Amino acid sequence: MDGRVTISELEKVYGEGPERTKAIDDLSFDVEGGEFVSVVGPSGCGKSTLLYLIAGFLDTTSGTIAVDGEPISGPGTDRGVVFQDYALFPWRTVFENVTYGLEESGVPKEERQTTAQKYIDLVDLDGFEDKYPKELSGGMKQRVGIARTLAYEPKILLMDEPFGALDQPLREALQDQLIDIWDDLGKTIVFITHDVEEAVYLSERVLIMTRHPGTKKTVTEIDLDRSGSREDIVTSDAFAQYKNAVWKSLHEETQTEVTL
Amino acid sequence: MGHATSQRIETLPAPLQGIVQTIFDWIPLGILVVLWEFASGTFVAESILPPPTIVLSRIVELIVTGDVFSHLFISLFRITVGLGLSILVGVLLGIGMARSKPVENFFDIFLSMTYPIPKTALVPLAILWLGVGTETAILIVFLACLLPVVLNAYNAANDVNQSLVWAAQMMGTSERAMLFKVVFPATIPEIMTGIRQAVPIAFVALVSAELIASNQGMGYLILTSGQIGNYPRMFANIVIISAVAFVAVRGFEEARNRVLVWT
Repeated sequence: MDGRVTISELEKVYGEGPERTKAIDDLSFDVEGGEFVSVVGPSGCGKSTLLYLIAGFLDTTSGTIAVDGEPISGPGTDRGVVFQDYALFPWRTVFENVTYGLEESGVPKEERQTTAQKYIDLVDLDGFEDKYPKELSGGMKQRVGIARTLAYEPKILLMDEPFGALDQPLREALQDQLIDIWDDLGKTIVFITHDVEEAVYLSERVLIMTRHPGTKKTVTEIDLDRSGSREDIVTSDAFAQYKNAVWKSLHEETQTEVTL
Repeated sequence: MGHATSQRIETLPAPLQGIVQTIFDWIPLGILVVLWEFASGTFVAESILPPPTIVLSRIVELIVTGDVFSHLFISLFRITVGLGLSILVGVLLGIGMARSKPVENFFDIFLSMTYPIPKTALVPLAILWLGVGTETAILIVFLACLLPVVLNAYNAANDVNQSLVWAAQMMGTSERAMLFKVVFPATIPEIMTGIRQAVPIAFVALVSAELIASNQGMGYLILTSGQIGNYPRMFANIVIISAVAFVAVRGFEEARNRVLVWT
């Protein structure tokens, strides 16, 4: 399946001389095509840096990132980012935000409109097409963000704590919506979060990163029976065990932070 | 006080609220006019402070005879061209400086040096180069309005949210197209703020330039009325240009609010 991300011996250094800090050190990790992987780690572990490196917004210091075997060089429409701060264009309506990527790829107007409408409907925003971002709540803005990124049909979704600013019920609703979208569209998803429960609930694998410089600490496979409701899943023993395992591993890192 | 008033206004039916608020807004001016009428001929000699009633009759006279219009139009023409040029150059320069280090380095020193100079101090120099008349007035208006436009555009273009640029990049926007697709639209609210600051400055600069270096325009009319001792006519012209400036500012604010529905 398309959308495989291969990260080899990745290193990212910010600044020079005495300002020099290593954000990511010797990280190798593969994400399979169509897989849902969450990345958790203590704050400052470089998880957002990792996401922006995969997106191509930042240059690697050494090592490579490849998509389906092709090393990346800068941003590309095969990858789509969903930003923590939504990053919607405030001067464009919901509809115009969602069509932006299609305009840039030269899709004809009529096709743009059908495609945009399809994804607006998918995130339950029909009726809000002509609203400006400032008229929307945080949860609605992030749904526009998701629709905008899905609309130009990237193979890989890169999500940077997309639900971090939302309250619990809304987070849960959007998590379930995201799972439905993932089931329907079969995208590769790399999902950054600091919320262990969110990571376990959503993903097939959780990558736990070490604290500063960030590198791979452990990878936990999450093999949950997801056929039931949210309540069935989060109250199951298996869910609790996975959550504990990830939490313990992460906690060791935050402990180091405190003793330092 | 204001609070108490607005609370009482809120108890009125909606269409009346606006009217009542407008009346409240104009009360201070009304008080001033009444005091002026009273002071003229009592505390201050009528010859140097003509009462508002006489000034008003001169305003009507200036409008009915049409004497004022040729001067008013030439003044408005100078303002429009000077301000228009300052917006065009200011936006290009501001965004250019924010996006390109060489452009910033080149122009920064000029802007820093000219910033504290009152632009009207350059009128004599402008006369030397351009003579007495429209070109000089336009140049002074242009120079006076340039800085607020440049600075607002520059700061805003420097502060464009990085995630907006990244979002456009990931959807295929090239570095070149980024200017028009993201940087410019993101900068529009601050450009509007710069223009809002520049409009009253334009009137100040224009009238100052016309007082010194013109044979036409409202500034010229004010000066010559004073020189021949026709103070009611001088006051009438001052009131006319003030009213026009006021309408220009309010009109611009209205237009800005319509353009910026998304902010």
